Amino acid sequence: MTQVPVTSSHAVTGRKLLLWLAWLSLATAVTAVLCSLVGQYHLTWKTWYFRLCRAAVAAEVGMALAVAGLALQALLRNPLAEPYILGISSGAGVGVLCGLALAAHLALPRWATTPALAMVGGLATAVVVYAIAHRRGRLDPYVLLLAGVMINVFNGALILVILQFTQPTETIHFIGWGMGKVPEWIWSEPILLIVSAAAVLGAWGILFTKGAVFNALGLGDEVASSTGVSVQSLRIQTFVVVSLMTAMAVALAGPIGFLGLIVPHVCRMLLGPDHRLLVIVSGFGGAMFLMAADTLCRLIGMWANTAELPVGVITALAGGPFFIYLLRTRRGGGIQ
Amino acid sequence: MSESSGHVLTASGVKFAYRPGHNVLDGVDLAAAAGRVVCVLGANGSGKTTLLGCLLGQFRPNSGRIELDGRAIGSYSPRERARLMAYVPQQPAVAFAFTAAEIVLTGRLSHTGILGLTSRQDRQIGRAAMEMTGTLDFADRMLDELSGGEAQCVMIARALAQQPSVLLLDEPTSHLDIANQLKIYRMMRRLADDWEMAVVCVSHDINLASRFADELVLMRRGRVVASGAVEQIIDREILAETYGVQIDLIESPGRDGPIVQAR
Repeated sequence: MTQVPVTSSHAVTGRKLLLWLAWLSLATAVTAVLCSLVGQYHLTWKTWYFRLCRAAVAAEVGMALAVAGLALQALLRNPLAEPYILGISSGAGVGVLCGLALAAHLALPRWATTPALAMVGGLATAVVVYAIAHRRGRLDPYVLLLAGVMINVFNGALILVILQFTQPTETIHFIGWGMGKVPEWIWSEPILLIVSAAAVLGAWGILFTKGAVFNALGLGDEVASSTGVSVQSLRIQTFVVVSLMTAMAVALAGPIGFLGLIVPHVCRMLLGPDHRLLVIVSGFGGAMFLMAADTLCRLIGMWANTAELPVGVITALAGGPFFIYLLRTRRGGGIQ
Repeated sequence: MSESSGHVLTASGVKFAYRPGHNVLDGVDLAAAAGRVVCVLGANGSGKTTLLGCLLGQFRPNSGRIELDGRAIGSYSPRERARLMAYVPQQPAVAFAFTAAEIVLTGRLSHTGILGLTSRQDRQIGRAAMEMTGTLDFADRMLDELSGGEAQCVMIARALAQQPSVLLLDEPTSHLDIANQLKIYRMMRRLADDWEMAVVCVSHDINLASRFADELVLMRRGRVVASGAVEQIIDREILAETYGVQIDLIESPGRDGPIVQAR
């Protein structure tokens, strides 16, 4: 056969992916530096280092949530899926609060308990939501979203119970965390930053190899399976990886909502639905988005001369209307 | 694609139940050989689609054997299986806004490496599949912008991109007008004749099936009522037993067999 390939624009080639990877890495680095430079105070090396650490953790959290959202949307063939909406974030939140309480009692370092228990909480919630929606080898998308809503309420109540038994002096800290806040103290816990970044990057790498499989899954479980996808094992792997990423993000920054919804959607609108490309682009997109949003929060706090706005407030204010817009414009929310 | 002669898919004594005690399939036998079109017909709820699920390896039979080239279907890895056997669903649907060409190229998944990147050769095979099915003209259009017939041809092209030896179709014409129904059946015939594929098609259209298939399998309540060459199966009593209604066979000039009509 010496025919011309199906037009080249369809081809997501290794070269194309490498180019995207290269220039998005550069753009993310530039964003980090820019974000760390803005601000009215006289900049010393030390404050610059603090802000760079903060930009790094914002990037990590943003990447984790955006890629987790993308993976869930692909896996569930549902553009409304997202770790926050499915309750995985709030489950991880329960784990984090348990971890903080445990760390105080057992005198363990924070990095040893919170990410691990966040993972347990996130995964447990994912398992429960999955089990509720799973019938006869199929996932019911409606049941899944509703199960997420109910689990969120349940986890919210658990969080309130834990707060009830916490010292009032600590409660105020938890409330800020509960709204989603990029940790400005991260420079004091470099091990936490490194461990969680490694976990997020590892998870991202795993999802990167699933891009083509996610594309096939868009045609339905039967077609995907007949194309060579082990659907059941893919679901389990993806849920574990997504829970890991969400747990890391929540352990660091609390449940930041809707980022996992907005970023993959905007990337999909701009670049089309190919998940091989989207896994890369939404990762960097999430990183840049959260760095920018966090910097905005810092600047608003500075200008208004008040405490900083939690970044979760901004993502929720932007994400809530966006969710409704998607619900109204996509037929049935894209649910099949 | 045509050197794969001699492939055969067989089911023998297949029983399957979603719930214990309620056999949806109750001892089904079927054989599909390279170059043959086998149509599975039967009343609603007779277990046709479940049988297809078993043949695809998606459901594991409670008893009986399903073999592809003499090897149990369960012993193939999903990737190995996908290189030998492809599937066309009843209704084309895709969750995200993929173009026809992108959908066809997902058929190459089992032939690609860990990142699922398609090579130039993969794209050539995808193009050949689109040429065969006449879908190249709308390669850049989204699936939901296409007519039902066009979209079904895209799904067939996607299956062909897997370069299978066995093609399974689940009522591929149930949403199509008569011209497109004819087109799909002609395509199945060509895939068997020119591409040496074993084609298994679950169908409701007994007249099209009897016109284009080599063999028919008639099912009722999880059992095979009769199977064999078309001439033997198009029989008033067999058909009446299958569908539970009186059947008229109407001789039509210029057509090989009679037209089947429920009385």
